[in-house]
Amino acid sequence: LYQTAEVIAQRAVGPNTNQIRLEARGVAIKARPGQFVMLKIGETQDPILARPFSVHGVHGDEIVLLYKVVGKGTRLLARVESGANLPIWGPLGRGFDLDIEQPVLVAGGLGLAPIRFAAQRLKELRTPFAAVYGARNNSELLLNVAGQGWEIMTDDGSKGRKGLVTEALAERLPLSRGVLACGPLPMLKAVARQCLEHQVPCQVSLEAPMACGIGACLGCVMPDTSGGYFRVCQEGPVIDAAQVDWDQL
Amino acid sequence: MTTSSVQMSVKVGGLELCNPVLAASGTFGYGREFSPYMDLNRIGGLVTKGVSLKPRLGNPPQRVVETAGGMLNAIGLANVGLKDFLADKMPWLSKLGTKVVVNLYGESLEEFSALASGLEDQAGVAALELNVSCPNVKEGGLAFGVNPDSVAEVTRTVKAASGKPVWVKLTPNVTDPVLIAKAARDAGADALSMINTLLGMAIDPVEKKPVLANVFGGLSGPAIKPVGLRMVYQVSRAVDIPVIGLGGIMTGRDAAEYMLAGASAVQVGTANFSDPTSCLRIAEELAGFCTEQGISRVSQLVGGLDDKPLPVCGVKE
Repeated sequence: LYQTAEVIAQRAVGPNTNQIRLEARGVAIKARPGQFVMLKIGETQDPILARPFSVHGVHGDEIVLLYKVVGKGTRLLARVESGANLPIWGPLGRGFDLDIEQPVLVAGGLGLAPIRFAAQRLKELRTPFAAVYGARNNSELLLNVAGQGWEIMTDDGSKGRKGLVTEALAERLPLSRGVLACGPLPMLKAVARQCLEHQVPCQVSLEAPMACGIGACLGCVMPDTSGGYFRVCQEGPVIDAAQVDWDQL
Repeated sequence: MTTSSVQMSVKVGGLELCNPVLAASGTFGYGREFSPYMDLNRIGGLVTKGVSLKPRLGNPPQRVVETAGGMLNAIGLANVGLKDFLADKMPWLSKLGTKVVVNLYGESLEEFSALASGLEDQAGVAALELNVSCPNVKEGGLAFGVNPDSVAEVTRTVKAASGKPVWVKLTPNVTDPVLIAKAARDAGADALSMINTLLGMAIDPVEKKPVLANVFGGLSGPAIKPVGLRMVYQVSRAVDIPVIGLGGIMTGRDAAEYMLAGASAVQVGTANFSDPTSCLRIAEELAGFCTEQGISRVSQLVGGLDDKPLPVCGVKE
């Protein structure tokens, strides 16, 4: 599970947003959409921790990650050159259950990362699906990353329809047997509420600050409906939205 | 001399370990989490997540945050409790060849006593480690660890309830660790583990809020290694029981430094998060260091610091 991944290439796909390709056969052969990897950006003691990244795609022995430069770790990652070797472990956590009819995929912002991989697999499985992808505005949209035929939403209407992904989802919910969603927490909250109201099963992919990624540090917990906590890295990152205590988030 | 010819086994606190590198409590789950990443039987031992009498949910999130050269945690001693530990964790741990040390967390002498008694007939438990130092919980932990009399009482209580070796894990959040260490030694402690995390906090300046829901958390990682080395050095010279050194050990060289400071063995904590193979890698690196230095037995490092004061002009020896 622990190996060294060679950086094949990375490229900018949007503002401060990169796609990085890594050769990591051990991850590539096992990864399912929704699962993640821990990637350590070199052997530094500062930053000391590895970073969790959703698997964004798999091609042969290569995996693709999609990330936004937001802090020290991702700034360093953006400067990593082809040929570099980075410690990696995974795939980790629970992925999406893709065995559903007519799923609706909902991605907001960088939530596109695992949703794009789910779409790739659904295509391979020949499962028809609908996909909604939203961002704040046209410049934040990663249209070259999203799939053909996806419904595009922007907050300001600068591309696609004006509005939130939940509006597009509302139109599709009556016909849907299941929803797969990933995006910012307020979006996931709204999507989860919508799905609960319509009694449509909803799987959300969550993120949380985490140290180990393997269930040991207990750092990445979120509240569940039984009054306790679940670990995003083990019981998630993909979890049934009905198990999350959204009111506490 | 090859690496394999270095004698890596050590005797510490009533145990014989195949090498001096153990996994530290709270960073290694119940061991099983790390079994996909290494052969646990090749590390000196592991110390479990702190076990309390009743299950604990722990603190609300956010519980962890990275800091310069380290991290803060405020997990709040979330654990399954003694009953589930015995039913669900112990059977698997008992099959391991490596030494299993169970870390105990109690909020009263009675709880410590009940925990020690509850583990007494578990053959798979090699030793008990008492958490008298975890700074994350508002009541309990800190109160025991900062007061020599309380530390002595807890140690005596557990020694009376258990025939197993008892290690006492000391907090660095005290003025004089030697005073606490002597109290634990006098009360019958078989070894001292030190140091636990340093109390700290992180702030989000944009939100104007503490990052951790608990406000305070325990600082660990390379940032605290100099503090750990200093305290191990101080205490190991003042007491005649073994000290197990921890605090920011990331490499075999770090482990060697702790042993030179006076530690008979070491524990690896935060490094388990940044590389799940750390314990085994560090044990191998430590063997490699001994080879390079022409050291045939790793225990020769213990307290081997060459710290004789240098001559000063004008002072007659």
